[in-house]
Amino acid sequence: MKKNKFFLFIIIFLLALIIPFTHVKAASDNYLQKVKDKGTLVVGTSADYPPYEFTAKENGKTKYVGLDISIAERFAKDIGVKLKIRNMNFDSLLVALETHKIDMVIAGMNPTPERKTSVAFSKIYYTGNQYMLINKSDAARFKKIKDFKGQTIGAQTGSLQYSLVKQQMKGNDVKGLAKLNDLVIALQSHKVNAVAMEEATAKAFAENNRNLKVINPGFDIDASQTGSAIGFSKGADSLVTAANKTIDEIKKDNLINKKYIPAAAKNMTANSKKKSMMNYWTYFAKGIEYTLIITVVSVFFGFVLGTLFALMRLSRSKFVHGLAVSYIEFVRGTPLMVQVMFVYFGVGAVIQSLPALVAGIIAVSLNSAAYVAEVIRSGIESIPSGQTEASRSLGMSQKETYRYIIIPQALKNIWPALGNEFVTLIKESSIVSIIGVTDLMYQMQLVQSATYKGVIPIFITMVIYFLMTFGLSKVLGYFEGKMKHA
Amino acid sequence: MPNLIEVQNLGKSFGDNEVLKNINESVKKGQVICVIGPSGSGKSTFLRCLNVLETPSTGKVLFEGNSLTGISESELNNLREKMGMVFQSFNLFPNMNVIENIKLAPLRVKKISDTEATQRAKELLERVGLADKAEQYPQSLSGGQQQRVAIARALAMNPEVMLFDEPTSALDPEMVGEVLKVMQDLAESGMTMVVVTHEMGFAKEVADEIWFMADGSIQEKGTPETFFKTPKTERAQDFLSKILN
Repeated sequence: MKKNKFFLFIIIFLLALIIPFTHVKAASDNYLQKVKDKGTLVVGTSADYPPYEFTAKENGKTKYVGLDISIAERFAKDIGVKLKIRNMNFDSLLVALETHKIDMVIAGMNPTPERKTSVAFSKIYYTGNQYMLINKSDAARFKKIKDFKGQTIGAQTGSLQYSLVKQQMKGNDVKGLAKLNDLVIALQSHKVNAVAMEEATAKAFAENNRNLKVINPGFDIDASQTGSAIGFSKGADSLVTAANKTIDEIKKDNLINKKYIPAAAKNMTANSKKKSMMNYWTYFAKGIEYTLIITVVSVFFGFVLGTLFALMRLSRSKFVHGLAVSYIEFVRGTPLMVQVMFVYFGVGAVIQSLPALVAGIIAVSLNSAAYVAEVIRSGIESIPSGQTEASRSLGMSQKETYRYIIIPQALKNIWPALGNEFVTLIKESSIVSIIGVTDLMYQMQLVQSATYKGVIPIFITMVIYFLMTFGLSKVLGYFEGKMKHA
Repeated sequence: MPNLIEVQNLGKSFGDNEVLKNINESVKKGQVICVIGPSGSGKSTFLRCLNVLETPSTGKVLFEGNSLTGISESELNNLREKMGMVFQSFNLFPNMNVIENIKLAPLRVKKISDTEATQRAKELLERVGLADKAEQYPQSLSGGQQQRVAIARALAMNPEVMLFDEPTSALDPEMVGEVLKVMQDLAESGMTMVVVTHEMGFAKEVADEIWFMADGSIQEKGTPETFFKTPKTERAQDFLSKILN
């Protein structure tokens, strides 16, 4: 028995390891042709980086804007396809590119030698300086790199700035966060003393917040590292060539400085004028919609699968039992965040067209199933064996016994525990925001980017989550009361 | 009369613990058997082997000539339908009211119509004197009422034999009578019954045959008159002297 279980674990581990590598890369470079065939260019970006990329509201609709977006639009037009923006964490962009979730990355990304090992870059289309954002009250203390001795510096994880601080400010602690907005909140609450940022972005934050200031601390920068380039899959030379052609034309007409940056600036001013949260209620509404979709669908599948796993676990077949136990233990023993990323990037590498929303729902459902299975098992085991015996002695099959006798009674016993699991699911589903599902958490980040306000969107989001969970608790309590009467 | 149930070399062990040893008996159609004996003698296990709620370790149980062991689940279900069972702790389904308890198996197993099932259930409730309790839930009934519903539930499948596993042991003394009365009526109607019981009065009055069990085997059997008046084995004499004084 023990041996059997161990064996199963090994199999599951091996499967987990193999799946991401089963994708066979196209032998010849038909990347450009593929994009043309499907008619859309899927572009990954991290839209909290004005003026490169951020969101703005136009006629009540959320749009991705910024100079990178303008370039992407132009490129899509040049190769004659539609543009589709996939917004995600900066850290996730390269993984998404490697797993072919996206065709290209444009996110103010610097073509560093490290990145070049896994990404094919276009020419540099824009060069900005590396600045530092500080609190205005510290302006007298901090001017150059050496002034920051012993201070904590913030930088976006996976970014060029993060490596710069690591390499050139060895005496400092680096605080890495995924979102610039969170870094700015950390700066304002003095968790960090400065945030390393690209020039244009830093200036945008300073312009929108009177208490912040931009300085040039004088990083020693290799010219090839400061520029921004478009990233493609390794080997996608046809796309790189096409992109370089577009970049040449953009440069020839000086479109970035003459057209794209002014347009971005206009959007940024428009955003900063609409700082009242009331202007962003549609953002929150969309977030609530997606959070509810994910929760409801995951509750349904989590429950169905959970019941299945519970019955498997109670099975007399050692193999089936072992399979269920392995699954439950494995899922409960790994973080939901890792599972979400694994389904999206790992399984998504095999099934290319797997949308983030579906990946998120699959991961959350599978996760929930493991917990629900244990709740249901405990419920089933709480039913006295006399119930089964009475049912079987009447000639009812095991299946009928479960369906009419055991499950209805077990459900009543476990209702509070199940309810608790569903409430938890509303909250835990927030993790899917890391793969770019537009749930409430994700929308909150968009509002943060758009308004340059850190804390208020968090507070509003918190209240909304509470109202949803509290409402659900009340509904569940009502049904629990009803069941007691029966 | 043909044998309805035949037990051949029946043995049952739980691990190293041998609970039943080489039992060979038969129950004829229409017979009422009372199985008595000291606690731990294997009476309940024996009864539960008859409809294979316990799987025999050795030997065979035949019902109307068909073996109950070594057959598929659906074949076993078909045979169990014909063997009603009443438990010490009633085991009514708490998620259903009284009439639903009775109708469940006829509807799901026999697949008769709801009208027919309801009609039959009402007749049975009338028979056990609980016609007015049809819509109540089991937990609102007394123990005696619950056990009578359990008997009606088993009868709803029109069984060939009724197995009773200490049906009055969990009841308050004042409720024992009402359940025994129903059982006596049932016996008088000609139902074949195997009753594990401690109610000696009932055994004396209703049983056609007493089986005395001790140490996992049937030590002695006979009519109530001979058994209670002149028990042959020392174990039986000892047992009777203890409970009658």
